[in-house]
Amino acid sequence: MRNLITGNELCARAAIDAGCRFFAGYPITPASAIFANLVRELPRRGGVAMSSPDEISAIAYCIGASLRGIPSMTATSGPGWCLMSESVGYALMAEVPVVIAVVQRLGPSTGGATAGAQGDIGLVSEAVSGGYRFPIFSPSTAAECYTDTLRAFYWAERLRSPVVLLSDKEVASTAEVVDDEALPALVSPGRSEWRGGPVGYRTYAFEKEEDVPLFAPVGGSAKVTATGSAHDQAGLLRKNDPETLGVMRHLQAKIDAAEPELGRVDFDYQEGATTLVLSYGVSARASRDAVAQARSMGRRVSLGVLRTLFPLPVTALHAGLAGIERVVIPEENHGGLYRNAVLSALGKREVVGVNRVGALIRPEEILDAII
Amino acid sequence: MQSSEPAPAPFLADCALPYCKGCGHSLVVRSLADAMQQSGLAPEHLCIVSDIGCVGLIDRLFPTVHTVHTTHGRSTAFATGLAVADGALCGGRTRFVVVIGDGGSTIGLLHLVAAAQLNVDVTVVLHNNHVYGMTGGQASGMSPEDWNTVTTPDGNPLLPLDMMGILRAAGAGYLARELATSRSLTGRLVEAMAHPGFSLVEVIEVCTAFGTKLNRLTGPEVRALAERTGEPLGLREQRLGRRHYAEVARPPDEPTETGTRVQSRVVVASALKAPLRVVVAGTAGERVQSAAALCARLATAAGLYATQKNDNLVTQGTGYSLSEMILSPSPIHYTGIDAPDAILAVSADGWNTVRGLARTLAPGGVILVDDTIPGVPEGLPALVRLPLRREAGRDDAALAALAWLLARTGALPPQALADAAVATHGEKAAGAVRAIAWGAAEANRGGD
Ligand SMILES: Cc1ncc(C[n+]2csc(CCOP(=O)(O)OP(=O)(O)O)c2C)c(N)n1
Repeated sequence: MRNLITGNELCARAAIDAGCRFFAGYPITPASAIFANLVRELPRRGGVAMSSPDEISAIAYCIGASLRGIPSMTATSGPGWCLMSESVGYALMAEVPVVIAVVQRLGPSTGGATAGAQGDIGLVSEAVSGGYRFPIFSPSTAAECYTDTLRAFYWAERLRSPVVLLSDKEVASTAEVVDDEALPALVSPGRSEWRGGPVGYRTYAFEKEEDVPLFAPVGGSAKVTATGSAHDQAGLLRKNDPETLGVMRHLQAKIDAAEPELGRVDFDYQEGATTLVLSYGVSARASRDAVAQARSMGRRVSLGVLRTLFPLPVTALHAGLAGIERVVIPEENHGGLYRNAVLSALGKREVVGVNRVGALIRPEEILDAII
Repeated sequence: MQSSEPAPAPFLADCALPYCKGCGHSLVVRSLADAMQQSGLAPEHLCIVSDIGCVGLIDRLFPTVHTVHTTHGRSTAFATGLAVADGALCGGRTRFVVVIGDGGSTIGLLHLVAAAQLNVDVTVVLHNNHVYGMTGGQASGMSPEDWNTVTTPDGNPLLPLDMMGILRAAGAGYLARELATSRSLTGRLVEAMAHPGFSLVEVIEVCTAFGTKLNRLTGPEVRALAERTGEPLGLREQRLGRRHYAEVARPPDEPTETGTRVQSRVVVASALKAPLRVVVAGTAGERVQSAAALCARLATAAGLYATQKNDNLVTQGTGYSLSEMILSPSPIHYTGIDAPDAILAVSADGWNTVRGLARTLAPGGVILVDDTIPGVPEGLPALVRLPLRREAGRDDAALAALAWLLARTGALPPQALADAAVATHGEKAAGAVRAIAWGAAEANRGGD
């Protein structure tokens, strides 16, 4: 059935469909609708949705619940994300699955609660010390908010990692038409669990560095030793010894190894095009219109909509960049936060940014950059 | 006669303790291990959630219970999430024991307050050595007045926080203060872990690396210090009967299917050939956004594409309220409205917000403004003034304006909008139905 619905509502619905059973949140525009929807729906579906007194607590509650074995999620915007970032590092280091929906709004600081932006790409992707890159997905439509929330849970659970669903005010809170029947079903395999009984479990055991350690819940029969400090495979505090250094490499290796599978760019190719418009989120929508206009004027141009921002979707990009000489990257921030991050994957091609802060980038501005 | 029961495995590892010589943390760890053994809980049903600081070196000392080593000050919050999930979703068999310093307790004070307020099954063992030990003896919020620390060389000018008082006010059901050297400590910890809900034991010690040296303190003086810095030692609070958050949050056994949202099921056809971009503006609380939503849902049911986004003052209940809506026969990507086909202003708040858009009106566009709004330049192109508020009423003026637009453009039959209002609001839609009929009739009369 066709419905008029927002991305935030579909994000909440997808969380439930993906098996989320714990949500903790602190209100912030434009993310609050996720919270409100889950407070209403989650208890009816066997879960808990609770308020926290701040965002530091919200994510800590989620990580706690996830350590107990419960798929968990929180939702916030830039200011709340800043408070959460210490614990995001914890989730990465302690290998705890957790999904964080970050609905961007205008910054810096309190900025504009009801104004859109794509200004938190750097804040989110570089939140964790040491250059670690956890998966960040970026929907550009309400329907994609659904799909990418499913993907976020799938990869958080599979990789034992924090995953961010990075949307923006326009994409998340504009109601648009979505056909229920067209929404995909992605069955999450859940975490790979330890089934070896009470003896012999090691919280961070792996053979190859890209392997994901088996999960056992705190409170189960196998003793868990979880930690956010540098540790060996047993979870005991250590630094500088070879095993610990291996764990430190493993934390990124397991994510990088999944890149070919979790990296996603939706391409709309045109035969013979040498220009590619590469965008994400709200700006991808204007890009679609700009590309259509350019084509109607006889220009050859391809479009790539990034559904994975990080780890850089190099496999998908590599395929999509064949024959491309010029890449136009529209995004609603100063200086091109993603443009600078993706540069290394674009080789020697000419790269042009289309940027604006505080208002939507219009299709005409992108068209100007295409032609 | 020898008991045939095997002695429970000792909770404490057979290894040297990592703390400084004479540090009270060693005594607390031994008491905690004894208390765990006496509690009768199986190790798998116990979890130590440790903070950062010297207190956080505990993991390897307890080789059989679960341990979660967290970040500075946040241990109580991690434990709260664990305890709510355990209690509400996993049968609630686990006891979570937070091990935290006075430093962690002050940077993470809100988490202690929240855990007490939620009344989660968490026992906090607050190791109060009166300084930040691990970082080198700086003053904490619980350092005694006049106390010499690395950061208060002339004596601490502040009074120490009264943790008992703070947490009692937050609803804590079990509170106690004990010296690390006290024989009562183990018993207190057993009581605290058996207490249903939140409990906290503040253990008084002095940091041997910094506290004793800088303050020339001897062992026997610690009791006097404890009595000077807070409530008397011993049991300070024991109340039962408060609800546990985990019980409140426990979902019903049988999942109930979610009620599907009421969507307009009215079957209509649209004559729309090109996108119609509409800005409708009025005053918060006068159902501007819900009128636009009704219209956009009708368009959706009619097989059109639609987008709707709302804006209002951050205060939400006052000032302007507006909706930007696009109805289109083809998919909509860019949702900005740079050249509106219609500007509908149903109140002065609304007009003052959208008046600037008048110069961006698309060719063939129209501006409809309530006729009581002052200061509307009569020379505006395509301006229509109608008594929207008088005829439709404050709360249905936006619907009347939209009905007028639908009738004028042929985008959707206004009657279908009225049917949708009835389908959504039932009998309460009588006013809306009248407003829609009036708006449509005005358009058909060529009401401009
Ligand atoms: C966010 C943050 N700020 C500061 C620190 C540095 N730090 C580590 S331990 C500590 C103080 C520990 O004091 P306390 O909690 O009293 O425990 P103790 O070492 O005395 O046992 C501080 C400030 C940190 N780890 N994280």
